[in-house]
Amino acid sequence: MGIPSAPLVTKAFKDLAILNAGKRGMPHERICFTPHPVWGKTPEEVRAYVEGPDPVSGKPLMKEIIDALTAPLSAEDKKSGVVSVSVGPPTYTDTADNLQDFYLNNGYTDFLPIIIPTEERVEAMMKATNHKPDEAVGKMAAGAFPAWSYNVRQVAANAVMAGCRPEYFPIVLAIASSGTASLYSSTNSFAFAMVINGPIRDRLEFNYGIGALGPFAQPNATIGRAWTILSKNLGNGGIPGDTYLGSLGNNLNYNNVVIAEHEDASPWPPFHVQRGFKKEENVVSLFRGLGVVPGQVARGSSANENVQFDYQMSDLFSTFTGFFGALIIADPLVAARLKEQGYDTKQKLIEWLHKNTVQTVKDYKSRNYAYLFDYPRALRGDEPWASWYKMPDDAVIPHFPHESDINIVVAGGQTNAYPQAGNLSYGVSVSIDKWM
Amino acid sequence: MSPALLAANSALADQTKSKTARTAKAAANSGAGKITAVNPKGTPPPIQLIPMAPRLDTLSGKTVYLVDTGFHGSDVLLHQIEAWFSRNMPDVTTVFRRKAGPYAEDDPALWKEIKAKGNAVIMAVGH
Repeated sequence: MGIPSAPLVTKAFKDLAILNAGKRGMPHERICFTPHPVWGKTPEEVRAYVEGPDPVSGKPLMKEIIDALTAPLSAEDKKSGVVSVSVGPPTYTDTADNLQDFYLNNGYTDFLPIIIPTEERVEAMMKATNHKPDEAVGKMAAGAFPAWSYNVRQVAANAVMAGCRPEYFPIVLAIASSGTASLYSSTNSFAFAMVINGPIRDRLEFNYGIGALGPFAQPNATIGRAWTILSKNLGNGGIPGDTYLGSLGNNLNYNNVVIAEHEDASPWPPFHVQRGFKKEENVVSLFRGLGVVPGQVARGSSANENVQFDYQMSDLFSTFTGFFGALIIADPLVAARLKEQGYDTKQKLIEWLHKNTVQTVKDYKSRNYAYLFDYPRALRGDEPWASWYKMPDDAVIPHFPHESDINIVVAGGQTNAYPQAGNLSYGVSVSIDKWM
Repeated sequence: MSPALLAANSALADQTKSKTARTAKAAANSGAGKITAVNPKGTPPPIQLIPMAPRLDTLSGKTVYLVDTGFHGSDVLLHQIEAWFSRNMPDVTTVFRRKAGPYAEDDPALWKEIKAKGNAVIMAVGH
């Protein structure tokens, strides 16, 4: 803008603010700090912050702010030009044990033992694709950061580390090509999920039966893990205090929610067909949100001859934030029951859920995410939020803005009729076949 | 180049050098066989340095925009700063605005307004 500015940040985000200013090209940006947190404090408490010291510099906060706007610039402050950034040599040579320690100590892993990405293993991994080792695969950022880029070889190293077999590699490439990091900088400790569709589920022996979401098959386990490891190494994600701020973190980040759809047991078309792909195509679809909850906690989930899964799901949704969508993971028994109840298409169920999962405007406005994400969109005139914020408090609005916010997949071993539901938004579907 | 600028990357490079040296030494001492492993890191973009905007001689008589990025409590904080100016530097004009759009997105209309009518910005993030 060419206007002097003083960014004011709470102390908890000191490293994030300083490092990100540097990555954005302003290493000497005059960032001022207040005590943390500001949220939930009374005006009197916040006044004490304003009249007190900057907790980083120890100087009076308002003097810091005024100095930031008025103190003359140094030669360093006025510098322009381009600075390159190194992340080390292309290879490391050492003993296997020392390399294991080295990769762990430098944050290259998920802190579980890895398969060392030797040149031979990386070469073997790359034989599973026709794409050249130096071919660009994509760019990734784990938040509002400058994106890193990567090629086939760099992705292969990460796939090896996660324990992937070479035949899994096209799926890992497809995920990497999406540019979606499974570790995101937000304080909200996001969770991520992937849905695998197509014949590749059987060819690679994905588990979509009993324990479909559990640690019971190598592709489910290692491809999910690869997403997290590559998000760290290729997208520079998962550095606490710098590119990761999740206050509690999320256990699902170890290998994400990997769902191979049980296509043959589903009464409905598979997810990738809904997204415009052919049934025989192999596709990975990615989701982002807050996590997954079991249907057993919903009202209407007691032993009941006439259990109403639609009401159960609607009840689960009422605790979700509408900022993210919903991903229903229905055991085939649940899906079959829903079909018996008249939902012969996924769309019919989605329409019912969208129409019947509602809230008052007052309840909506009380939600954290409404204030944080929707209200600023309303200020910009984005719909439906702009209209929602003009409605009276007792008006009734849908829980999710759009029907398309609700998605359904089928997986599970049919040992009991339990659904799970993720407060997860659909992001993108990527062809796996293109990376073979 | 500020040490802060590339703290993560330079620290990583330093760590890399020192740990490689240590582990290489340990391996040599043990006589264990060595293997070569691929660096799994992606390629960071180069950093384009941006000169900072010229500073003001004084805030007296100037208009300072107080921009709320939308995090909880930012508005309370900025209103207290507004009150501080009113008590301590009454010749400073303050204008409070909540930025439109989610916190990580630009608000071009507001930036245009500030450029036309403002002399300085204080942008606050709560939490």
